[in-house]
Amino acid sequence: MASGTIPIIDCDIHPSDSPALPLLPHIPKAYHEAIRSGMAANRGAGYSNPFGVIRRDADCTDPRQTARDHLDRYNITYGVLQPPGLKVSLTNNIDVGNALATAWNDWQIAHWLPADERYLGSICVNMNDPAAAARELRRAAGAHPRMKQLNIPGESTDLYGHRRYFPVYEACAEAGLPICLHPGAEGSLASSTPVGRPSSYFEWHTGLSLTFMAQLISLVAEGVFERFPTLKLILCEGGVSWLSHLMWRMDKNFKALRSTTPWLRRLPSEYIVDHVRVTTQPMEEPETDAQFLNMLGMIHAEKTLCFATDFPHWDFDAPSAVLPKKVPEDLKRRILFDNAAELYGLKAPVMAEAAAS
Amino acid sequence: MSDAKTIDAAFRQVESPREPVSRSGRRIAVCPAAELLPGDKRIVDVPGGPSIGVFNIGGEYHAIKNVCPHNGAPLCLGSVHATHAPSELHQFEPCMEGRVIRCPWHGWEFDIVSGKGLYDRNSRVATYVVEVQDGVVTLVL
Repeated sequence: MASGTIPIIDCDIHPSDSPALPLLPHIPKAYHEAIRSGMAANRGAGYSNPFGVIRRDADCTDPRQTARDHLDRYNITYGVLQPPGLKVSLTNNIDVGNALATAWNDWQIAHWLPADERYLGSICVNMNDPAAAARELRRAAGAHPRMKQLNIPGESTDLYGHRRYFPVYEACAEAGLPICLHPGAEGSLASSTPVGRPSSYFEWHTGLSLTFMAQLISLVAEGVFERFPTLKLILCEGGVSWLSHLMWRMDKNFKALRSTTPWLRRLPSEYIVDHVRVTTQPMEEPETDAQFLNMLGMIHAEKTLCFATDFPHWDFDAPSAVLPKKVPEDLKRRILFDNAAELYGLKAPVMAEAAAS
Repeated sequence: MSDAKTIDAAFRQVESPREPVSRSGRRIAVCPAAELLPGDKRIVDVPGGPSIGVFNIGGEYHAIKNVCPHNGAPLCLGSVHATHAPSELHQFEPCMEGRVIRCPWHGWEFDIVSGKGLYDRNSRVATYVVEVQDGVVTLVL
C-alpha cells in the first residue's frame, strides 16, 4: 500500500439494488401501481457508456461482499455510499419522486448500514419539491446516525443557488450534514453543455465539470454560504483543477461586480476554501509530478481535496495508485482521511485496528 | 460590522481612512474653483510627480493617484457612481453616491474619499490633500 498506515475515507461508493436486495419493498404500497404504470419515469440523460459503467471485475450489490472486495482490500476506514436514488429529483412525477427518495434512504438503512459499520449513507431527496425534501432530510438524518450527507445530482430545474432550495439547505445546516453534489442526469432537462448537445458519452462525461462549475458559481453568488455559515458542500466526481480557475476568475469578477451581490461579505475564493470540498476521482493526471503538486497547491488541497474511488464504476481510482509518491505524507493524509473526517465528523481509527486487519 | 469578513473590513476602512500623502508641502494649482463643480474632475500630471485625479464630490474636494494598484491603469478615467453596502442576504442598500470610481480596465471599485479598494482588505490608492487657496483648487503634495 502506497498509503502505508494512513487511514482512508472513500467518499464515493455506488451500491445498486438487486433481486436479492430490491428497492420495491421500501416503497409504500400506495405507489406500487403508479410505478407499475410507468410513473417512476425520468427523461434520463441519453448518454450511456458503450462499454458499460460497472467494472468487469467488480460488483456492488451485496454489502458484505463489497466490504471484503473493496473496504478490506484497500484498508478503507469509512466508505460513503451514493445510491442510484441520488437522481430521484429528475423523476417526472413529483409524488413518485418523493416516495422513491424515502425508499432509497430506508433501503440503505435496512441493508447496507447494518452490514458494516464502515458504511456511511447518503440521504436522497426530491429537490423538485423542496418542502418535502427538507422533511425527508430531517427524517432520514434522525433515522440513522450514519446517514451522513445530502446527495443531489448535477442536473436541476434551477441552479442550486436558487432560494427555492434554501429550506433543504436549512435542514442540512440544522442536522450538521454536508451536501454532496454528484453527476446525475446532466442533459435530461437541458443540454449538458451551455452550447449544445454532445454527440458521444466521451464528450458528455468529460464535460460534467461544466455543470459543477455552474452549480458552484450559483451557490456562492446567491449567498448560500453567507445564509448558512456552517453548511459544507462536497463536489464529487466533477473534477479537481478547475477549482483554481473558478476561484481566480470569480474573485477577479467580484472585484468589479461586488455591488451586484452586496450580500457577499467575503471573496468568493474565501467561501470556497472554507465551505467546499472536491473529490479526487476521476483524478486528473498531469504530465509531471511537479504539475500535480502545483495543482494541489492551487486548489488548497490540504483543506479541499478528499479521496474517492467511484467503486465499482469504470473509471475507478485505487488509493494505492492515485497520488504520486512525491505528495508529502502529511498532505496525503489530509487527502486520504482528514479532510473527509472533518467534513463528516468522523474519528480516526486506533492504529491497533489497522495493524490487525 | 465585524472585520472577520473581508468586505466588511474593506468598508470599515472607508469610515476610518489613512492620512493623505503629504510630504513636501509642494503646492500645485489645479484650476479655479468655479471650474470644478460638484461631479466634476480634473486630471493633473504633476511635473516630476504622479498623475493625480482631483474630484469635487458634493462641494468637497478629493484627490487620488491616477494609477490603479492592480495593473497601473489610468484609474481616474473610470466612471463615478454609487455602490451597495455590505448587506443582509438579497438586500440592496445603495451608498456612497458619487464617490465610487470604477477602474476603466477591469472595473474594480475604489472609494475616492478614502482611496480604499472596496473588494479586499488591503488594496488602496493614494489620496492627497486638496485646498482652495485664493479661489484656486490646489493640491498640497
